[in-house]
Amino acid sequence: MEEKLAELTAKVAELEQTATMLGTVDVEIFYWWCTALMVCIHAGFLAYEMGASRSKNVLASGVKNILAFAFIVPTFYFFGWWIYLAFPSGFIPSEAGNAGLPWDMAMGPNLADNASGVFWAAFVLFAATTASIFSGAVIERIRVPGFIILAILLGSVSWILAASWGWHPDGWLLKEWGYHDVGCAGLIHVVAGFFALGVLINLGPRVGKYNADGTANDLSPHNIPMVLIGLMLIIVGFFGFLGACLLFNSGAQWTNIYGQPATLSAYGFNTLMCFSGGIIGAWMTTRDPFWMMSGALAGIFVAAAGLDVWYPPLAFCLGFLGGVVIKPVNDWLTGLGIDDSVGAVAVHGFCGALGVMAVGIFATGYPNVGGAPPTSFMGQFVGLIVMILVGFIPGYVGSLILKSLGMLRVPDDAQELGLDLAEIPSKAYPEAGVGSRSGGLAVQPAE
Amino acid sequence: MGSPVTDWEGVEAYFTFADNPTVMFAILILSVVLTILAIVKGGIHESESYKKIKNGD
Repeated sequence: MEEKLAELTAKVAELEQTATMLGTVDVEIFYWWCTALMVCIHAGFLAYEMGASRSKNVLASGVKNILAFAFIVPTFYFFGWWIYLAFPSGFIPSEAGNAGLPWDMAMGPNLADNASGVFWAAFVLFAATTASIFSGAVIERIRVPGFIILAILLGSVSWILAASWGWHPDGWLLKEWGYHDVGCAGLIHVVAGFFALGVLINLGPRVGKYNADGTANDLSPHNIPMVLIGLMLIIVGFFGFLGACLLFNSGAQWTNIYGQPATLSAYGFNTLMCFSGGIIGAWMTTRDPFWMMSGALAGIFVAAAGLDVWYPPLAFCLGFLGGVVIKPVNDWLTGLGIDDSVGAVAVHGFCGALGVMAVGIFATGYPNVGGAPPTSFMGQFVGLIVMILVGFIPGYVGSLILKSLGMLRVPDDAQELGLDLAEIPSKAYPEAGVGSRSGGLAVQPAE
Repeated sequence: MGSPVTDWEGVEAYFTFADNPTVMFAILILSVVLTILAIVKGGIHESESYKKIKNGD
């Protein structure tokens, strides 16, 4: 009898150990595949930006976009993760940040730590998303090294500082104001959109965008079908993005990033409802497929901050609003002399801001955990102001410095010739004679 | 060379040179230098390309 009891106890212990390990591995698997899906965001932005460029600049736009992703990865390893862990209380780093330093034992293969690598990877993809958002706005006239520096400033410094304040469980925006932004409407879209605005002010418009009397010309995308496929790929990627915004608690209910109970089902309902609302709203008001697919994104961003709590038809209405407002906002910015090539400020910055405030209007009073105040209008308003400043100030100041060093804007003669011919050793459409001075004789770029 | 472990019992961090901070730092600094160098070289490449265009080459 005693022997059987001992055997049973050993079996239970073994089963418990197996269940724990399975749970740990499940968490790893979940974030691994969310990260893989998020790569679709970059495939999408790549197609989107190249399609939105004129044919003479298509490869240069692609190169710039790829480099944004590539340079975010090492710089986020060097200091981005440390910023997230070290700065939740403001500008004074805490010792908790040491776990994110590039020489910490958690920052590499470690059998005692199944979490750091997959969380770091997901955050890298969030960071690269901010850089891609900014990348589209400045196509066809920004210098690549200047762009890389700005992308690093945005992805590996600005957004992750905002995330440390408004997403980290000890972030001061959460602890003091109950800030609620589960899908990063403010943290990513407002920060990236207003960063882009700050840069666009210093960068100036593309050559040929404006006439002497201030009226704007239409510099049409060379390949709208590529733009549409790119935008749909971004949507695919956002399912990974939004999944990674939830916390997988092995053996327990999901929580959102703030530790409030949540379900992936909530995201299932609301992501699709706001996505469709955005498309329908943009279709109704523009009939233009470019804005319809931009409306899909805008719809998600207007609902993003409260994806865990919306009544799904409300998510649809918020999405619809996003789809309706983006073109008028972009037209208004164009009238002010802001040449935003893909409408990033309107789609991400403005709709992200609507998203943050939507929680402050329609989702106040949700209790927080860990002593943070409940969601409120003021909490969201303060959060929004912070996000705008964390985006705009580095974008404006950083680009102003680069401008003064001559590292920001491509010279007008190179813009007129086309950036592919000026900088890229290969041709996008060789049979068409695009990317050459006379049907195929390309200038050899400097080595 | 490189492995910080000789068997898997009780192992935690096992990445290359985890037991040798000097080499770790040297590799880290090298990766930072390569990142910066690529940006600088990119700037030089662009400036030369623009100069060629200006000169009509």
